[in-house]
Amino acid sequence: MQDDPLAAYLNDVAERDRAAFDALYSAASAKLFGVCLRILDNRAEAEEALQEVFTRVWINAGRFDADRGRAMTWLIAIARNHCIDRLRARTDEVLPDDTGDPFAQMPDPAPGAEARTIARGEARRISDCFDTLEPARAEAVRGAYLDGLSYAELATRHAIPLNTVRTWLRRGLLRLKECLEA
Amino acid sequence: MSTPHPPIPDEGDDLLAAEYVLGVLSLPERLAAEARLRDDPAFAARVAAWTAHLSPLDADYPEVPAPNLLPQIEARLFGRAEPAARRGWGRSVGRRWLLGGLGAGAAAAVVGVFLARPGKPPMLTAEIATANGALIFQARYDAGTHVATITRTKGQGPGAAKDYQLWVILPGKAPSPVALVSAPRLRVTLPKLVAGDTLAVSLEPAGGSPNGKPTQVLGAGVLTRA
Repeated sequence: MQDDPLAAYLNDVAERDRAAFDALYSAASAKLFGVCLRILDNRAEAEEALQEVFTRVWINAGRFDADRGRAMTWLIAIARNHCIDRLRARTDEVLPDDTGDPFAQMPDPAPGAEARTIARGEARRISDCFDTLEPARAEAVRGAYLDGLSYAELATRHAIPLNTVRTWLRRGLLRLKECLEA
Repeated sequence: MSTPHPPIPDEGDDLLAAEYVLGVLSLPERLAAEARLRDDPAFAARVAAWTAHLSPLDADYPEVPAPNLLPQIEARLFGRAEPAARRGWGRSVGRRWLLGGLGAGAAAAVVGVFLARPGKPPMLTAEIATANGALIFQARYDAGTHVATITRTKGQGPGAAKDYQLWVILPGKAPSPVALVSAPRLRVTLPKLVAGDTLAVSLEPAGGSPNGKPTQVLGAGVLTRA
């Protein structure tokens, strides 16, 4: 945690330290706003989402474990999950939603020692592993992750029939997994 | 890659975890995955591993200076925004003095200074709504008596063989079931709650959650000062 100042803030927030909450907002809001804007592509909605994200951070800070991953990874996962829920709620019809659902707490971002090992040097390895995918699949994985694209949007973007796009992407994910865990 | 996948037993789960982390699932599939996250440690570990695998992509998100939304956020969590100095005196310093064992006279003086705010237990409220706004509950909680009034202000009852169930979620704790709220209006005594705690409503089989965990979360709201 010594090289993760956000983790220290989060631990203080878990103790209901409002000054730490303010400091966390100053330190992390630009990155998390960048996440919300990219996924939602709408400034007003991104601002609403950011409020919800920090509300969840206050409520769930006690679940963050600095031994299991970096604070920013945990924060971004909360932001992505919330924004993707919002995106899906826009287009899916007649569905109960879980936006604002504090039950849907994100999982621990990394399961102990194994994940710490994974996290080390992960940046380099994942880009190496992306290189083993055919370019369209690598692009689809990146687009899904960064922009929150759905299967329907991926099918349109990559000109793949909707009924096969899931199999198509899953093959890419399997290849990625084989490479990452090799 | 036209051969079938090798028959690894949990491969489907692992791919589902990857799809959840990527975000490509539909909302019903995401909700189902999130329910499993709560109940299935093996699945949660797969999601955690994929989160770690894919987290280097986070570097591609730009930093965009955000407007200062803290006043709105803190108003949601703690009630109306207060100046920091007053907040410090009224809440932490004042309380620490009171609890710190000052002499009775000094304590009385301190109480006198701050009586206006802590003297009357606040009324807390929360709105619990589905995202499409089709179902809305208003909750009013008296922090003095711990009695809450839950009113369904929009939407239908839960339907045959179903119940709406109210849950309390304290920070970092698992949701705890407190009452069935299928009636349009209900008064219940709840545990001691403060601003920032969360109420939620789920849809359950008649009689309430069979396993002590929410079956289908409909919405949640954070208690704030009225």
